Amino acid sequence: MLRTEEFTLNMGPQHPATHGVLRLILHLDGETIVKVEPVVGYLHRGIEKLAEARTYTQVIPYTDRLDYLAAMLNNLGYVQAVEKLMGIEIPERAEYIRIIVSEMSRIASHCIAVGTYALDLGGFTGFMYPFREREKLMDMFEMISGSRMTHSYMRIGGVAADLPEEFYPAIKKFLKEFPSCVDEYDGLITGNEIFQARTKGVGVLSQEKAVQYSISGPTLRGSGVNYDLRKARPYGIYDRFDFEVPVGEKGDCFDRYYCRIQEMRQSHRIIEQALEQLEELPGGPVMAKVPKVLKPPKGEVYHEIEGAKGILGYYVVSDGTTKPYRVHIRRPSFINLDLLDEMCRGWKIADVVAILGSIDIVLGEVDC
Amino acid sequence: MFGSGLLKGLAITWKEMLTPKVTIQYPDEIYSLPDRFHGRFKLDKDACISCGMCVRACPNNVIKMETETVARKKRLLKYVMDIKYCLFCGFCVESCPKNALGYEKDFELAQYKLDKVPLVLVDEEPLPPEEKERLEAEAAQKIAAAKAKKEASGGKDKGGE
Repeated sequence: MLRTEEFTLNMGPQHPATHGVLRLILHLDGETIVKVEPVVGYLHRGIEKLAEARTYTQVIPYTDRLDYLAAMLNNLGYVQAVEKLMGIEIPERAEYIRIIVSEMSRIASHCIAVGTYALDLGGFTGFMYPFREREKLMDMFEMISGSRMTHSYMRIGGVAADLPEEFYPAIKKFLKEFPSCVDEYDGLITGNEIFQARTKGVGVLSQEKAVQYSISGPTLRGSGVNYDLRKARPYGIYDRFDFEVPVGEKGDCFDRYYCRIQEMRQSHRIIEQALEQLEELPGGPVMAKVPKVLKPPKGEVYHEIEGAKGILGYYVVSDGTTKPYRVHIRRPSFINLDLLDEMCRGWKIADVVAILGSIDIVLGEVDC
Repeated sequence: MFGSGLLKGLAITWKEMLTPKVTIQYPDEIYSLPDRFHGRFKLDKDACISCGMCVRACPNNVIKMETETVARKKRLLKYVMDIKYCLFCGFCVESCPKNALGYEKDFELAQYKLDKVPLVLVDEEPLPPEEKERLEAEAAQKIAAAKAKKEASGGKDKGGE
């Protein structure tokens, strides 16, 4: 008698297509996915707990290590949360610098998302092109903050230092070149028939499901929900810029991918405007007058920003001492990963890689 | 037409053939680093006032500092950074009130032996007791002299009134 049974396969934690140390337990019926169980925690460092033993300023380098592909955005979320708690107004100049560096970070993160997505689906050339632009961005980050990835550039009350002189020609050159670079990604990846065959109609995420599971970021917008915190609830000075929120139609892997490509173009627009407005500003301080030892009043605060992967929220509780009583971080990658099982069911084993890549997780953030 | 997308992609890769090479021959050619680069730390021993701001600013307790007080003046004995725990966040350099702590443009910090890892910036013997006593006596004398002078001048002023 021929008997068939379900087959269990471990994918990861050392699998290159899981973008880090994610383990997926795949329950297979032949080649069809019955169930996917993501096992997280291989990169858990206890950042939330570590934060409790450090002063408010000392937490900043740890936020870099959450989503290490967009460290500036993580910095921004944390410092804005503490500023909200303490009621600090930051100088205009610092606001603009923050916008410029965080949008640069968003582009760098999306470059990785787009590039590694092509790599996951077997297109090595498509991987190299976005990395070329990311390299230019990292060189600029190095000029600004001294580090390529873990910048620790923002401070509670402003930024660490003003933009250096050599940054302006570099960013202007980058802004001039970048649109044609995105056209190249479009030509290499988006227009590729093999890529389209692998992504169009695969891993469809409906609008209702996405909202129910509190999915955020390009993953949500790929499903056609127009929700971007920069527009919906502008923080900082985002209300001063003219940009659009790209949304997908069908909610398949291709739409999620294409949202990121379009978001890069929008970020480019924001940087252009911010740089223009920054140059009109007179020179001035980039730090508000804050005491050396920070002692926020007793209380709690929750602040969200639109990170590269989705809504990044920081919940900070203060007991009136120099150290936070509790820090909790709403990590978009972790919450977006929840829906992987739902999206993968019924698809073939090769599509797991396509679907996982389209959510764009980073394990530093998932495991925290 | 099916395949036109592939051809378009191919055209883009062909274009790359004409662009200049950007590879740097690393060990022979050194990559130019920006001024703010976070590399190996350097300490200006004479500028340092041993205030300990850097020790307190460090999120990871990387910096170990030992001082001795001679004639009411702090003297730096040991300044060791356990670089394996360093996050290179730059808070120590930022907190330095005398700009004594800084960076070098050196990123080759890997070591073969574990005991070579800590970055020893200052390692000095404490002063011998005789020397210490001598310096202390000298300082005490100076203070006494200054006091006497002040008293003398103060007395004169009073007398003048």
